[in-house]
Amino acid sequence: MPIVNIDLAWLNRLLGKQFPTETVRESLEQIGCDVEDLADIQYSRCPRCGALVENPIGQEEVRACGICGHESETPFKPAGKKQVLRLDLLADRPDLFDVGGLARALRGTLGIERGLPKYATRPSGHTVKIDKSLQNKDSFRPFIACAVMTLPPIDETSLIAIMKLQENLHWGVGRDRKLASIGVYDLAAISGDIEYRTMDPDKEPFVPLGMPGKKMTGRQILTEHPKGIAYAELLANHKRYPALVDSKGHVLSMPPIINSDETKLKLGTTRVFIDVTGISQAAVTKSLDTLVCSLCEIGGAVETVEISEPGAGNRMTPDLKPRSTAVDLAEAKRWLGLPLDDKSLTESLRKMRFDLQPVAGVKGRFSVSYPPYRTDIRHMVDLLEDVAIGYGYGNIEPRLVRSMTVGTPRPEESLSDRGRQILIGLGFSEIMSLPLTTEEHQYERLRMPAPERYPQVANPKLKAYNVVRTHLLGGLFEALRENRRRPMPQRLFEIDNVVALDDMAETGASEERRLALVEIGRESGYATARSVMDSLLRELGWKPEYTAIEHPTFVPGRAAEFSINGKALGIVGEVHPEVLANFGLTHPVALAELSLQRVF
Amino acid sequence: MAGEILLNEAAYTVWQMVRDHGPIELGEVVKLTGIDQTQVAATATEAGLQGLFEIAEREREELVVADGAAGLLAIGLPERRAAERLIAASGELPIAEFIAWANANDVAPNEAFKWGGARGWIERTKGDGGPQVAVSEIGRQSLNQPDDDERAIQAALANGGRIFLDSMKAGAAGTARVNSLLGKRPELARIKKRTERILALTDQGAEAFQTRIHRVIERNLLTPEDLESGAWREIKLRPYDVKLAAKDVYPAKIHPLRKIIEQTRRAFLEMGFAEVVSPMIESAFWNFDALFQPQDHPARDMQDTFYMRDPAEAPLPGEKGVRNLLCEASSGPFRQKVPDTFFDTDAKIVEQVRRTHEDGWETGSEGWGYAWSPDVSKQVVLRTHTTAATIRALAANPNPPGKFFCVGWTYRNETISFKHLPVFHQVDGIIIDEEANLASLMGTLQEFYSKMGFGRVKFKPAFYPYTEPSVDVVVYMESRGKWLEMGGAGIFRPEVTLPLGCKFPVLAWGLGIERLAMLRFGLSDIRELYRPSLDALEGVPLCR
Repeated sequence: MPIVNIDLAWLNRLLGKQFPTETVRESLEQIGCDVEDLADIQYSRCPRCGALVENPIGQEEVRACGICGHESETPFKPAGKKQVLRLDLLADRPDLFDVGGLARALRGTLGIERGLPKYATRPSGHTVKIDKSLQNKDSFRPFIACAVMTLPPIDETSLIAIMKLQENLHWGVGRDRKLASIGVYDLAAISGDIEYRTMDPDKEPFVPLGMPGKKMTGRQILTEHPKGIAYAELLANHKRYPALVDSKGHVLSMPPIINSDETKLKLGTTRVFIDVTGISQAAVTKSLDTLVCSLCEIGGAVETVEISEPGAGNRMTPDLKPRSTAVDLAEAKRWLGLPLDDKSLTESLRKMRFDLQPVAGVKGRFSVSYPPYRTDIRHMVDLLEDVAIGYGYGNIEPRLVRSMTVGTPRPEESLSDRGRQILIGLGFSEIMSLPLTTEEHQYERLRMPAPERYPQVANPKLKAYNVVRTHLLGGLFEALRENRRRPMPQRLFEIDNVVALDDMAETGASEERRLALVEIGRESGYATARSVMDSLLRELGWKPEYTAIEHPTFVPGRAAEFSINGKALGIVGEVHPEVLANFGLTHPVALAELSLQRVF
Repeated sequence: MAGEILLNEAAYTVWQMVRDHGPIELGEVVKLTGIDQTQVAATATEAGLQGLFEIAEREREELVVADGAAGLLAIGLPERRAAERLIAASGELPIAEFIAWANANDVAPNEAFKWGGARGWIERTKGDGGPQVAVSEIGRQSLNQPDDDERAIQAALANGGRIFLDSMKAGAAGTARVNSLLGKRPELARIKKRTERILALTDQGAEAFQTRIHRVIERNLLTPEDLESGAWREIKLRPYDVKLAAKDVYPAKIHPLRKIIEQTRRAFLEMGFAEVVSPMIESAFWNFDALFQPQDHPARDMQDTFYMRDPAEAPLPGEKGVRNLLCEASSGPFRQKVPDTFFDTDAKIVEQVRRTHEDGWETGSEGWGYAWSPDVSKQVVLRTHTTAATIRALAANPNPPGKFFCVGWTYRNETISFKHLPVFHQVDGIIIDEEANLASLMGTLQEFYSKMGFGRVKFKPAFYPYTEPSVDVVVYMESRGKWLEMGGAGIFRPEVTLPLGCKFPVLAWGLGIERLAMLRFGLSDIRELYRPSLDALEGVPLCR
């Protein structure tokens, strides 16, 4: 999970009051933010674009700029230090990704300001026209939402904060720019109305961010520009590329890859244009709403943009009117088990930045207004969580349910436990091995022919894990190999489930609990394996009948299958010397495996 | 009257020897009994101090032949060869001629003069032509036979290189001659003075031996023969230094990780939970869809989840045949009163899950707003959590009260590192109850974690996709002196419970067993848990 660095001094400025760091930290944890630590962060300056770059924690030097993509052989020049809180991002709460959003939430929990934050908008007068080619399969990116914002003149700190928020929204909402991607522009560099359309990959070259003076076509960007290479995958199936173009025909950006260099934010910029494009309307709206609300918290004001779509009419984005839902006191009490009343329910939610209005005529029911960025509210239970957090997890009195239920172990577990006790009594030590293996380990090294079908994984990252084990022998032989230089004899066992392909089983494979054991030593052989197995079965109260079998893992004539009440249950024998050689073993091995019955 | 004397076997044998053969020289006792000289001497000294042995000391002279003496005698001593030469020259030679001969024949002239003179064989005379060397009359007579000292050396050589002078037959005069001739001739021999101790019982000793001396047999080990014969009564087992380290031995043991799993199972069983299981090879429906996990959720990505090549597809609950198969599979010897995962399910559940994903169905939710695909749901995965088991149990037992848990293998498509394995154990528990709520969730977790050995537990808000509210359990670890996040918990969302037919809040929580084990055993590398090295396994005591 990404970690975000929150400038502590800035956070305190936004809170309007200096709080002890420990209080801030506890407050953050109470709302579910994991504070990794408090750290000093070093900043460096990119020699090409002049941007301030955050050094990764513990790293003295930086040689790559995340903003223009510049990479240099010599380290960037240091540019000062800041004290930051390092937070794990909560994927579900993009409104807590930045200093503005966090300050807004903390003002609620610290009691500085409660209830719904309201965001006013006024029209900007700008229009974005969507071309319908974006609906085509081979140039698909149909959704767009835009805003204009007036911000306090951008300085280096706010520039980094905006970039980071954009990046983290790409991660948390945009699924790494796939569902939605954000562009932020200096409005002063844009002329007139904007068209969101597609362009020929080889025409309409423009100067992309980070390559001052170098005009590139869309295709060149995808093959030569670091950001283009990194995200080329997203346009792999596009015959034409999405583009925002202003009234003078200047390409402003090529979503979801890069903006033009000309429109980039500059120090001192106060008016910005923001676009979010994507393939999911929900992700696009959520990204824009979250972004502009957070920027309002650091002093921004929002203006709407008219989106004109052929066949769909005109609409204004963003829509920052509060959303509304309802909460029931009775349901809150049932779900949370807290001694709530109208007042404490209201107070808890107001602390979490909601507004409540009693619903006339329905006792205990409230209409709840919530801000547009709380897109995680999909159900009343989502509000109930906020009630609990507002109430304070630490204030909840734990208790137990009173109903009577009976503890019941699974029968194969009880049987396994008995088998384990017997084998430990016989001097066998338990091992545990992983249930994933390979065809070679499962069959070839044990001289078994691989069957035509066995349970196989389709997409393992490691080739060593492409088979789910169908018996327990592999792990035991690996263990013997590991211990081959230790004094002999050695006795080991393992009890676990194995799987078998089974067309009669619900998911196509059935599972069985098994017990397997090995003994290695000068004296080990069929006779010792038999003794142990006889002993185990006697203690379990099972009467075996042994039948000679031919099995490639065993010495011919020294292997048997045994059955209980006519049902074949296991095998016992002396291991074939070739198998011993395969595992580098220099003593004979007695081996047995039996089923402790079907689990499914 | 002196008290009883206990002698060990060796000392007793020395006593016997002295009684039977005394007076006897100490060295002789050593030779005859084979007992170590120091032990014989110690026995004798102790008995002597008690007046039980009479120890007579006598000094003797012993001739010890030098290396190379035999060779010198064989060539002939210089004075003997000189005398022979002089006899051959009819008794005398001018001194110059004699020296010329001596030099030519490797005879040292001054040795010949010195020892020839000492024996009285060779003299210097004055002849007509100047100084001469002559053999004496004694010399002429003596040359036919070896002199006393030569004889003594021969006798010593025959006796292993040593001989006591008083044991020679030479008599007092002969002995004195040997002494004077060999006293300063180390190339031939040395005369050494030796003190011998002659042991004999005193009267008191003889009496004591009969009355108050007892043999004690000392041993390190007691043998079955000693026990059978009754000899153990006379045997004294030697005392040991009980503080010395002993050899290490280890018992055969339960695997450390298994022990934690068993502890976890016991905690749940004690709290009235029924244990359930579900297949590791699981359908995406039960692993993801039933938990309201959207079909495009990144966790379902090939990057994170193992998909099966074979079996590749599982029918959805309620599809033709599946229901019957499930029932049949559960009717084996392990059929139990608590319904496990094989339950009467039908197409209704699938339909309700589909609707909930698409538009929220009757759950009060908006759903995910996409078209749910049955094909995606039929994919077969290696289960990514044991919640797949508890969710099946919930579908089978939607009415309260019910408490279920499952411990088992879970899989994530990871590479191997000190932090991650692609397969590990999880435990999941659920409570279906009219009183299930956030407060009883916290109470249950507190109880559970206290059974797991964590007396101090804190809760903090968390965000998990299928629970609301969600809780992270933070426990205080005494051994590390700090608070650690241990597991997640929450109340299943209505989008999870309602489609399965459950109208009550359901408490759910899970815990990674390996993480707990690593903390308990102080490991920093998860792979250590599965290393089958006996050294490592034996090194973890059961009490940990």
